Amino acid sequence: MIALYRPGTSPLHRLPAGPKLIALMLLAIAITVFASNAWYIAGASALVVAGYFAAGFGPLEILRQLWTLRWIVAVTLITQVIFLPLPVAATNTGRVVTVVMLATLVTLTTRTSALLDAVERGLGPLRRIGVDPARVGLVMAMTITVVPVIAGYAASIRDAQRARGAKPRLRILVMPLLVMSLKHADELGDALVARGAE
Amino acid sequence: MTTPLPSIPASPDGTPPSRELAFEGVGVDLAGVTVLRDVTVTLPQRRIAVIGSNGSGKSTFARLLGGLVAPSRGRVAVHGHDLVAERKQVLRMVGSVFSNPDAQIIMPTVAEDVAFSLRRRGLTREEVARRVTATLERYGLAERADAPAHSLSGGQKQLLALSAVLITEPALIVADEPTALLDGRNSRLISALLLDEIPQQLVLVTHDLELAARCDVAVRFEDGRLFEVDDPAPVIARYRRDLG
Repeated sequence: MIALYRPGTSPLHRLPAGPKLIALMLLAIAITVFASNAWYIAGASALVVAGYFAAGFGPLEILRQLWTLRWIVAVTLITQVIFLPLPVAATNTGRVVTVVMLATLVTLTTRTSALLDAVERGLGPLRRIGVDPARVGLVMAMTITVVPVIAGYAASIRDAQRARGAKPRLRILVMPLLVMSLKHADELGDALVARGAE
Repeated sequence: MTTPLPSIPASPDGTPPSRELAFEGVGVDLAGVTVLRDVTVTLPQRRIAVIGSNGSGKSTFARLLGGLVAPSRGRVAVHGHDLVAERKQVLRMVGSVFSNPDAQIIMPTVAEDVAFSLRRRGLTREEVARRVTATLERYGLAERADAPAHSLSGGQKQLLALSAVLITEPALIVADEPTALLDGRNSRLISALLLDEIPQQLVLVTHDLELAARCDVAVRFEDGRLFEVDDPAPVIARYRRDLG
């Protein structure tokens, strides 16, 4: 689900990470606060689609990114439909998808290291209250890095369970996944020390 | 079982040793259990193989040098620098490579992961980029610079891990089973790089006795003790005999 940088020369690629992050934050707030009906959502979505085209990504890439959000769409929509009328639930879900697609566009056009540098600079003033910007940036980077690893563990556990004739079930997936993830965290801790990031 | 330590063989080319690892009465306790005891040895050779059964203490020996565990007793010196008193300096001199390359990847893309090793070294962004490009080109990863690091093959990931270590120009490489998860071709690639191409002193923990045989000296651990230190051939022969 977390997209990675795709090299390119578009204006969006060339824009520094700091302004992109600020624009993302402002647009996300605007969409969340003001996009109160389907027309506003459609307008915001059109803007995001235009951004993808401006960055050199075609309709296939947009559809690919949307497909990766299918579970978010399902969970957001289903949980809201229980309590809210369908049009309101659909508008809220549209808002979430638009903001996530916008955030994805930023990560697709910005190197992770540039994003981290921008975050570290942005969090600089918080040093006075004990926040370590470098550590926050490192945690963000490692979160992005570790997602495919955990997904790989989940896939290998499901394969092992299928190979032994068990139907894949969430209940029997969680415990081995937790054990493997903790072991990975332990090894990653060693790697951090070994690479001087204590 | 403790046997008297034989004299340590000199470097095969006869050059006087300029770098050495010195252990004096070193012991390590983990969670109240002694996992390494009474290690006293000086190792000036470039390529040092560390062999022994599972749980013999060889990985703890490597983790000591990598700064991942501290000695509970005794003194460890890496090229004359005390591992405890000068820990930060020693950590900068030592690069560690583990068996599972997935667990060594910290940043999302190949180039960013290699660049991570140069953080906090006071280099300009341009200098970091120049060194990363040169390192990736040297180890054949330049074309994958912007690829997600976890999308690489097993061999490429281990090359990435090595690149991330070598870019810092350490004086000592500690490799704990670096070829254990690799296929034959990638295993040969990584072992050739470690044993024949890099100039650094190498501590190679391995179950692969053919690799151990290519080193300048072999150190064998058993039951948490240094069992013997000698030329690789006799150490390996005795180890094979003991394995039955």
